Amino acid sequence: MQNALVQIKTDNIHDELIQLVSFNLDQEEYGVDVLKVREIIRMPIVTRVPNTPHYVEGVINLRGKVVPIICMRKKFGLVESENDKQTRIMVMDMDGELMGFIVDAVSEVIRISGSEIQPSPAMVAGGIDQECIAGVINQAERLLVLLNLEKMFSRDEKNMFTGM
Amino acid sequence: MPPIDCEDQELLDGFLAETTELLEKLDDDLITLEKSSDDTDLMNRIFRSIHTIKGASSFLGFDLLVKVAHKTEDVLNRLRKGELVVSPEIMDVILEATDLVKLLVSDIKAGDIQERETDGTINKLLPFLLDTAGVSKPVASAPQADEQQVSTPETAEVTSPQPQSPTATDLPSPAVEREAPIDSPPIQPSVAVAQVPVPKPASDVAPKKAPAPPKPAEGKGDDLSDNSTVRVDVKRLDDLMNQVGELVLERNRMIQINQDLQQNDVNRADFNEEFGKLTKRMSFVTSELQMQVLKMRMIPVEKVFKKFPRIVRSMSRDLGKEVDLQIIGEETELDRSVVDEIGDPLIHLIRNAMDHGLETPDERIEAGKSRCGTLVLAAVHEGNQIIISIKDDGRGIDTERVGRKAIERGLITEDQFATMSQREVFDLLFLPGFSTKEKATDLSGRGVGMDVVKTNIKKLNGLIEIKSTKGLGSEFILRLPLTLAIIQSLLVEVEGEIYSIPLSSVLETIRVDQRKFHLIGGQEVLKLRDIVLPLIRLQKVFNVQPRGESDDFCYVVVVGAAEKRMGLVVTRLVGQQEVAIKSLGNYLANIPGIAGSTILGDGRVALIIDPVAMSEVCE
Repeated sequence: MQNALVQIKTDNIHDELIQLVSFNLDQEEYGVDVLKVREIIRMPIVTRVPNTPHYVEGVINLRGKVVPIICMRKKFGLVESENDKQTRIMVMDMDGELMGFIVDAVSEVIRISGSEIQPSPAMVAGGIDQECIAGVINQAERLLVLLNLEKMFSRDEKNMFTGM
Repeated sequence: MPPIDCEDQELLDGFLAETTELLEKLDDDLITLEKSSDDTDLMNRIFRSIHTIKGASSFLGFDLLVKVAHKTEDVLNRLRKGELVVSPEIMDVILEATDLVKLLVSDIKAGDIQERETDGTINKLLPFLLDTAGVSKPVASAPQADEQQVSTPETAEVTSPQPQSPTATDLPSPAVEREAPIDSPPIQPSVAVAQVPVPKPASDVAPKKAPAPPKPAEGKGDDLSDNSTVRVDVKRLDDLMNQVGELVLERNRMIQINQDLQQNDVNRADFNEEFGKLTKRMSFVTSELQMQVLKMRMIPVEKVFKKFPRIVRSMSRDLGKEVDLQIIGEETELDRSVVDEIGDPLIHLIRNAMDHGLETPDERIEAGKSRCGTLVLAAVHEGNQIIISIKDDGRGIDTERVGRKAIERGLITEDQFATMSQREVFDLLFLPGFSTKEKATDLSGRGVGMDVVKTNIKKLNGLIEIKSTKGLGSEFILRLPLTLAIIQSLLVEVEGEIYSIPLSSVLETIRVDQRKFHLIGGQEVLKLRDIVLPLIRLQKVFNVQPRGESDDFCYVVVVGAAEKRMGLVVTRLVGQQEVAIKSLGNYLANIPGIAGSTILGDGRVALIIDPVAMSEVCE
């Protein structure tokens, strides 16, 4: 009985439709689970927070809540660019805490079935940590990198955040 | 034991709330009773409390609790009637019994009733119930003698409220009436149990009790009181409602003004005037509202203080010292968040005073003092701070000894010690791992105490100060903010960035010429009157990009952190503002020098500087 349930569950994962928010970062397209995204906002005034890792842009006031902001380009070691009209902050729920991520642009919400997700190719170079790449989605016209942002910060980084 | 599936959860909650409150008061009353044993009012109050607890718990069927409470009540009854005289021995036992009651209540609260070993405590109570223990005529001893043997207490007790309670579900009354006066109940229980699980005779428990191993009972009864519910004065609530009503009116006014503005049927001058008025009223109502809510969060410091007579009593008995504890200003109110945090530091300080500070009676007489030492615990408001002081008239702090110990432990060198001021020596006490005691005892001497005190006080944005004269005693003074949620702060600008410094730690601000700074061993200092003030440039610590235009003049904000003083160099002072503290969240919780953040009038976030941590960043 237990096993049967598990079986059904895993089956579901493969056939289930997943909704992703897709966003752009330095010409590549990425996707994150829509359920983790709380809201998408334009760039407000960011207050710099001293003595934090370079990719921590600062904090913003989100309707009375103070939310830390991470610059995705800096985090992934990409070339920095000026913020423009398209620049957005995706406010995500990270283990119960809100955190904002600066991205170049947010394009759309797409639906894919779980079976379309392929494991990421072993040799992804560059600054993106392997752990936070949950897979790639290879559709006819586009290639989407599926991110798991909760895994974005390694344990060390989390410690550094809190133990500095 | 019956699981707590009381049909009426409300009833149980009510019982727990009431009992907890009674127990909290009881400790305090008992200690007072020991000092003034002829106070009949007090005696009666104590008796009533324990009687209420017994009654309520027997009604709900908490048999163990009933049993302990009942015996305690009996002893108290004899004290009340003058058959016994209050003595430390009796008090020891009664206090032990109340501890047990607390433990049992906390079990009930936690939802799992355990079989606790109660016989030990009960047996200690029994001798005081024997005729020989009393001083005069035996009155209520006949039924009591029976109970000691059969251990079926409350069925025999005619005055037990359990059967009479009309609310006790619908137990058929004949059964009740028969049960109450009859001395040997074993035939009855089955009937009673079958109908309701509530009023169950204690005899039912006795056989089950044997196999269950007694569980360790330490420490659990202490955290009985919890601060998850508040009692608020109805008047305060009404006031609050009034304020909210006004706020609603102002909001409507605001909507109106906005509409008029949208429809363009208002001229500029009128609008300005109207809006100005509105702003004033809004700010008035909001600050009133803030005061009200703040007041509601306030609880008297008594909540913490009332634990201490008990602690002091047991310590003085353990240490063989005589202590007179005086508590002043226990009605002083402060924010509950602060109250929750100061308990531990205060216990440490009191233990220290008892263990290190006060001498034994013999030593005191030798030193020409009265046998009995005094320990004064005082709380008082000063501005928007609360000051708590713990003062003893003991031997005081021996700076020589502290210094030698510190050298021994390699914390300082001989040379350093030679140049140290008294204040600096006292600061050594706060170093982690420092203790002058040769041997650690249960009470103190592990060298963690003062360190913990300092950390806790720091967490609360407080200051701690030591005053001590050798041979005459010492005083520990804690300065704490009234609340942690909203603070007065000084906004400063550092090269274009705004930071906020808690006003409670700001001592003064000065405008100085940068050319007056001196450099000592790479550390910038300022000569301020008779002290040499170490300076910290916020611009450097926070890596702020300089904006080019350099001015010879800058501002120095002198802050006091715990026992240190230092100057923060800023570009400009912006002003004083009341700010609400916002947490930076888990990810950014521990940035050195930053205590939190707040949101300014224009919606921007400003970081709040933690002066204490700042001093450590720079060390």
